[in-house]
Amino acid sequence: MNPVEVSQLSKTFETREGRLFRKVHRSVVAVDGIDFSVPKGEIFGLLGPNGAGKTTTIKMLCTLITPSSGDAFINGFSVAKDQQKVRENLGVMLTGERTLYWKLTGQENLEYFAALYHLDSAYAKNRILELLKLVGLNERQDTLVENYSTGMRIRLSFAKALLNDARVLLFDEPTASLDPQSSHLIRDIIRDLKREGHAIILTTHNMEEADLLSDRVAIIDQGKIVSLGPPSELKQKVKSSDVIEIEARNLAKQTPAALQSFSEVSKVAITPSQTGETELLRVHVEKGKEVLPRILEFLVRKQATITKVTFIEPTLEDVFIAETGRSLRD
Amino acid sequence: MPTSGLKSDMQALTAIFCKGLKHHIRYPGEFAIFLMLPFLFTFLILGMGDAVGGNNAAAYFAARTGTTNIVIYEILGSAVWMTSWVVIEDVGTAIRDEQIKGTLEQNFLAPVHRFTLLVGLSLTDVVITSILFLVVVGVTVAVVLPSSFLTVIPAFLALLLGLIPLFGIGFLFAGFVVRFKEPYIFIQIVNLVFATLTGTYYPVTLLPYWVQVLSGVLPQTYVIDAMRRIVIANQTLVNLYGSIFILLALALAYPIVGYAVFRRIERKASVTGEFSKY
Repeated sequence: MNPVEVSQLSKTFETREGRLFRKVHRSVVAVDGIDFSVPKGEIFGLLGPNGAGKTTTIKMLCTLITPSSGDAFINGFSVAKDQQKVRENLGVMLTGERTLYWKLTGQENLEYFAALYHLDSAYAKNRILELLKLVGLNERQDTLVENYSTGMRIRLSFAKALLNDARVLLFDEPTASLDPQSSHLIRDIIRDLKREGHAIILTTHNMEEADLLSDRVAIIDQGKIVSLGPPSELKQKVKSSDVIEIEARNLAKQTPAALQSFSEVSKVAITPSQTGETELLRVHVEKGKEVLPRILEFLVRKQATITKVTFIEPTLEDVFIAETGRSLRD
Repeated sequence: MPTSGLKSDMQALTAIFCKGLKHHIRYPGEFAIFLMLPFLFTFLILGMGDAVGGNNAAAYFAARTGTTNIVIYEILGSAVWMTSWVVIEDVGTAIRDEQIKGTLEQNFLAPVHRFTLLVGLSLTDVVITSILFLVVVGVTVAVVLPSSFLTVIPAFLALLLGLIPLFGIGFLFAGFVVRFKEPYIFIQIVNLVFATLTGTYYPVTLLPYWVQVLSGVLPQTYVIDAMRRIVIANQTLVNLYGSIFILLALALAYPIVGYAVFRRIERKASVTGEFSKY
């Protein structure tokens, strides 16, 4: 049995919305019958846009949320039935910097959580020093966390997940809000943990990170796994098309749908650019070089101002577009 | 290298206690409030009594309570009320406080027993408040009734016994707080009702009979009465075996019922994802 086995795992949240006495019952399917397994020494990426079901999946795996149906097993223990055993066998880093006690020092935080994980105090003392050094906080271990930078807090939170040296590790957006140097450090540590034989699940909406780190990636959308495999294989699926990225202003809302009427165009997705001033149109198209003039002419006719056109290598984002017709950043 | 069994629970409890203590030392302002409130409430009651009863206030008071030692009588009521307020509020709101800080899920991810966590999160405040109780009552008795100074110790033991059922009431509120959020209004109203029902500032016998029945199921009623009998009337714990027996029974029943309710609501919260909601 693999360290992580997920079988038909589902979660539906029941909510009541609306005004007093006029509340309407609503069911929201957050995770919809997903299956996957993670063997020893593998980094398994869960990639998807916000609200896709990644965090709910992680929270079910670490027993914070009870599944509606299906089950998952961590080192053979059921998340539905053996919750205490599951917690002993997991190291978890949840997203965000407010997962620590700000009025305690870095070292005091780790000492506190080591006791909650029932670590022997002599072992914990050495382990804490080792981890503080690993994440580059050994010289600031006696500083209150409230005086740490965001990056330092996230690194400390990462160290916390490694305290009990669990063979299964769950990292929810481990490099979100980190500077490039700290991201690099965390990614290197994750790779080392993989080499040591840990089974690692990583959620991210950063496709470059998923591509760089993961041995296999599950692309998740609206609670379902829409694609699963090694990043290179997934990208190979969309290699038969050309991918054109068009940066433009004044794109009409109907543009993506209108472009789909071109017989050569298979998928179109639109996202705001990083500056927010322009929009990025990503077009999957057969014989791109031949079709491009017609596409540009069409956009100009629709009053769009085109600022940049690039033919790009398909990324995991293109796999997502091919599967869902939407961008990861929607 | 994990430890196991009772040792691991004690280690976790100690860590939670020390964490709370460090927080208090780094936010020291609350100590002053704990020390001042019993005196302030007592002076408030004395002033009101004087305004209402005038020259006859002390005589009326003695006729109803059997003692002329108004200050000791009221300070014992105030101190027990403050201590029980802290226990119920802290156990009840500990989970909500951690949720607001963002650390609740981190605690729940660890394999520590939920009972240990729930008790531990409020233990620091309970210990500090109990020590402050000793200071407040000790100083007052030393000044006003020095001959009874040593009775503060058995009175304190009665208080400690009375704290156990209060943890049970706290567990019950912890469950309600997980379910309904809005902890402070809820718990403050209940604590004010408790002060009214348990003889904090006047004898329970002044209340209508049906209200006295409610008073009879609240541990503070027995603690306040026992402490007054010990400090003012020089009775011993042995003389008060009836109250002690009832407190022991409540110490068994309330935590069991309270924790069962909390676990039920907590399990439901993990189905609804309530712990992640603010």
